[in-house]
Amino acid sequence: MSSLPPTSGESEAVGTSDPVRSSGSADSARSASAVDAKLPKRRRSGSPGQFRDIWNRYRRNKLALVGTFIVGLLVFLAIFEPILTPFDPFEQNLLNTTAPPDSRHFFGTDVLGRDMFSAIIYGAKLAVIVGVVTVLMSLLVGVVFGAIAGFRGKFWDTLIMRLTDIFLAFPLIIGAILVVRTFGAGITPVIIALVVFGWATTARLMRGQTLALRESEYVEAARSIGASDGRIILRHIMPNAIAPVLVYAFTNIGVVVVAMASLSFLGVGVPANVPEWGRMLSQAYGFIKVPGQSHLWAFPALAICITTLGFAFVADGLRDALDPKLRGGN
Amino acid sequence: MTRSKAGLAAVAVTAAASLVLAGCAQQSNSGPPAGSGAQPAVGFPETPPNPEVPGGKPGGVFRLGITEPTAIDPYNTQESEGQGVEDSLFTGLLEVTPDGEPVPGVATDWSPNDTCDTWTFNLKPGTKFHNGEIVDAAAFKRGWERASIKDSGSEVSYHLDVIKGYDEISSGAATEMSGVNASNPNQLVVTLKNADCEFPLRTIHPVAAPMPVAAGPTSNTAFNDAPIGNGPFKMDGKWNHDQGIRLVRFDDYTAGPKAFLDAIEFTIVSPSNGVQLEYDGFVNGTFDWARMPAPLIAQNRSTYEPQGKWISRKTNATNYFVTGDTTAPLNSVDARKAVSMAIDRNAIAQGVFKGAQVPATSMIPAAFRDVYQEGVCDACTFNLDEAKKLAEKAGLKPGTEINLFYNTGAGHEEWTAAVRQQLEKNLGLVVKYSGVPFNDHLNNLEAPTMSGLNRLAWSADYPTPGNFMIPLMATSSMKLDAQGNVKGNNYSRYSNPEFDALVLKASATKDEAERSKLWQQAEQMSIGRDLALMPMFQRQQFRLVATDRFANINMDFSENPTFDKIFLK
Amino acid sequence: MGKFILRRVGQAVIVVLAAILLVYVATYALGDPFASTGDRQVPPEIAAQNRAIFGLDQPLPIQYINYIGNLVTGDLGLDFDQRRPVIDMLGAVVPNTARLALVAILIDVAIGVIAGIIAAVKRYSFADVLVTVVSTVAIGVPTFVIGLGLLAFLSGVGPFPVVPRSFTDQVPWYQEVLLPAFALAIIDAAFVARLMRGSMLEVLRADYIRTARAKGVSERRVIGVHALRNSIIPVVTYVGVSLGTLLGGAIITEAIFQYDGVGYLLFRAIGSNNAPVISAVIVFGVIAYTVLSLIVDILYAFLDPRIRLN
Repeated sequence: MSSLPPTSGESEAVGTSDPVRSSGSADSARSASAVDAKLPKRRRSGSPGQFRDIWNRYRRNKLALVGTFIVGLLVFLAIFEPILTPFDPFEQNLLNTTAPPDSRHFFGTDVLGRDMFSAIIYGAKLAVIVGVVTVLMSLLVGVVFGAIAGFRGKFWDTLIMRLTDIFLAFPLIIGAILVVRTFGAGITPVIIALVVFGWATTARLMRGQTLALRESEYVEAARSIGASDGRIILRHIMPNAIAPVLVYAFTNIGVVVVAMASLSFLGVGVPANVPEWGRMLSQAYGFIKVPGQSHLWAFPALAICITTLGFAFVADGLRDALDPKLRGGN
Repeated sequence: MTRSKAGLAAVAVTAAASLVLAGCAQQSNSGPPAGSGAQPAVGFPETPPNPEVPGGKPGGVFRLGITEPTAIDPYNTQESEGQGVEDSLFTGLLEVTPDGEPVPGVATDWSPNDTCDTWTFNLKPGTKFHNGEIVDAAAFKRGWERASIKDSGSEVSYHLDVIKGYDEISSGAATEMSGVNASNPNQLVVTLKNADCEFPLRTIHPVAAPMPVAAGPTSNTAFNDAPIGNGPFKMDGKWNHDQGIRLVRFDDYTAGPKAFLDAIEFTIVSPSNGVQLEYDGFVNGTFDWARMPAPLIAQNRSTYEPQGKWISRKTNATNYFVTGDTTAPLNSVDARKAVSMAIDRNAIAQGVFKGAQVPATSMIPAAFRDVYQEGVCDACTFNLDEAKKLAEKAGLKPGTEINLFYNTGAGHEEWTAAVRQQLEKNLGLVVKYSGVPFNDHLNNLEAPTMSGLNRLAWSADYPTPGNFMIPLMATSSMKLDAQGNVKGNNYSRYSNPEFDALVLKASATKDEAERSKLWQQAEQMSIGRDLALMPMFQRQQFRLVATDRFANINMDFSENPTFDKIFLK
Repeated sequence: MGKFILRRVGQAVIVVLAAILLVYVATYALGDPFASTGDRQVPPEIAAQNRAIFGLDQPLPIQYINYIGNLVTGDLGLDFDQRRPVIDMLGAVVPNTARLALVAILIDVAIGVIAGIIAAVKRYSFADVLVTVVSTVAIGVPTFVIGLGLLAFLSGVGPFPVVPRSFTDQVPWYQEVLLPAFALAIIDAAFVARLMRGSMLEVLRADYIRTARAKGVSERRVIGVHALRNSIIPVVTYVGVSLGTLLGGAIITEAIFQYDGVGYLLFRAIGSNNAPVISAVIVFGVIAYTVLSLIVDILYAFLDPRIRLN
């Protein structure tokens, strides 16, 4: 069924780490194969008391708080980008190219004299927008297909699961390269590419959840009073199945940010003049050993690291908070 | 769940906020950094060629890095890297000096008939291929036919298309090239379709190399990877793709003076950071010849020039904009000159290229020392007042849309972006700026709708200025098809009967000095007066060379070391 | 059991065939792969000739059928750029990638398993916290940032060559493989450490461990033999799938280090729009991943009979 078989007894371990794995590993962002293994037995979420418990547990995790701060900061930068940038990130100054950081240009200037500090902030906005849009779209596609597969079973289940097999057999980056090269460079093609090769995991997760819920008593009850399939999925299954799917989706934003940066780094992502972090890194690749020019690559690299770390910390915290068993096994 | 809602909201808020906040006061990013003096002068001077020293004994291994060539088999050798290897493996009819002067190779002398449409080459008898086969006239005929034949897959055989019979053999109608007569083993007689007093220069191109019988057709992969040539060096093993190529001296070489070096070792480096690797390799003693990253040029010059380990030469290529000469908004001379004068080439050369390229003020590059006319393009100098005046005269109002297209992945992103900002700032034009892969770029150029500025570079395939003038600007090079697409190289669609007559006259002029004068007149007319194309940058090359270990190192016409002259000190 | 294997193999074949179709359409729908490198200009007649030579003048379905037919016989066509048989190009780099993948896996298993065991056995100790924090951070740093960092600071230092594979520095393969392998291994090592820790903690609570301890088996033996044997299963499956991924080519890491493997081949093919190479490498990667996953699944089914019933 899945590429990585369920590890039943040990499932927690696999489950814990797997979605995060890909957030760091651009080369092998193929996390998802094992995720569906872990979730079928997840408890229903929903009551306010439970959310408070989760929050209490979450807040005890220091790294998770750091992560929350980072994510918050990113969103802040994204929203207020136009007032936070001291310069127009696109404006060149040929009289002052590749200048090291000083009091005017905090992060120095790039090969066209553009202010790197402004460019990094602009990059944060791009990362947040692309990350969130991609994840939402993958969610939409994945949840619909997953719910259909899990609820209808049989033919639909087989068809959709084989489809996910096919898409999961491509490493995220390589699959995305195929799509971007077919549709041309730009932010929209990048989002499409990441959705095309990103929905499958969500679909599998959703299917697992739906499968477990399909046979539950209250779904049986709804069915017995003649509720339609659509209504059962929307009103009874979705609200109960969605929480872990959403957590996964959120943690996946980090994966998306790295994937976009990787694509741009390889020269198949956003257009050349857009201050995107991966793009900035690839422009700096030729300067990597030039003394006095380390600001060209150090700042974008740092920005990517901090972002992915932020999402990874939050992801860890969320998982631990949702499933206290994982922390210490008591 | 709440998380995701927050995410959605963030997108919406971000989008909205950006709209509202756009245009908020930001500082102006212009001017030199505080406390810095005036900008240094643009570019770096050329170095004189290293004088040739006599003597030298066999020995030494010369090592350098190159990027993976397309081919080293002459039928498809195209770029500088491939030519460096091919040139050492093969000796053609003529060879070329670093200054672009033709000198005898296998041919001892060559002469045309009165009308320049039949050429006779007398060959040195008894020179040998690396496998012992004799290099005779038939070997040349064999090589030319091998490359020109239908299905050869050659992308460079069209350089032979002036020869009678080329069309028939390349279309499959014939199996022999009727214009090439090799009945006398020591004399090659070539009949051309039209008069061409510079035809011998064409034979300098790799595709005109002789071939041994052992070569077989171009599909012979064993030969592709280990060509058997007649040059001063021969293959040592086969081409180890993406790793390296090793050549050793050919001791039975008689087509010219024997080489001194025992071996040449080409290490193949990545195109993405090969320059850095070559440089690092030179510094730590891995390489004897190396390029360097642009930001390091100034520093290295001051270190290595006093030690004599520095070569700086303007070479045979010009980076330019193809302008839409028949489509708005650049369909008038004034409009083209206005745009050209609004571009500050010096600022780009200094700021973006760090002096690695120099502003071009002519289309024919300085490598053609007899014909080069510095400043022939008077509109190639930044002059904002004049630009504005001309723009007004030409109706190029602020707000006019103009295309600025370039091809991606070849390092043109930065400097074209700089041109874009200058045109927007200086003339208030609205620049439609777009980068596409090279094949799409070519399609854009060919289409009748082509307009505005389109980046391209040209380097002469053989050392004649005519190779700049005729393909790029003659009416005959437009080759319009039924849909009005340009199928030649005159993408600007410049068409001027006066100019056409002039270049035709130059091609048919036997006297070299007089011919040079005609080429100069042609350039004064097409570039100086009409600005049919917009010269931007002149290619200049810098190398670090191990002159402490080797003597007689110079840069040849294709930017490679003069391998056959170098000897160990 | 036989039925299970048969079913899994059938699924794998379908996945591979569908993936090939996807790749084929995406690469060959890109348009004219000739006339597309750098400043090279190819006259249209010549480009048309070449298209005919490579069979690109035929309708797409016919091209696809020909492609599959050739693929089965091991013929991947000629590359567009240098006209070399693609199978040779792939054959030349696959061993390099296999070495890189194996060394990377070796490094990450060695570091990960040891760190994971220590963290689990000395739970809540300083070492445990250290492993947890370091692994969390390591997982968050993208591979290509790690790669760039290693390249910037370590190439040319000590055993790491400045110019890989130059004639002068004929370094043995294990020296060249070290830096990229480290770049790839760091994240996986962090991962394996977490897996190992979680799995070991689980096993240590099991009854048979208590029994073993009660019987007076030495602690070292309890951990090293009884617990390790049972807790390493998830690590093995993880590593198996990871190997499949790495064999498909770590495109970014190989490109950064110019490591002459499958990923670097793909990187260059993308730059020159070399369709036959692009599709061959991706198809190879999909096959490698699918086959490794298949093997892991079957192995796992042997180890854990519960799976077969699923």
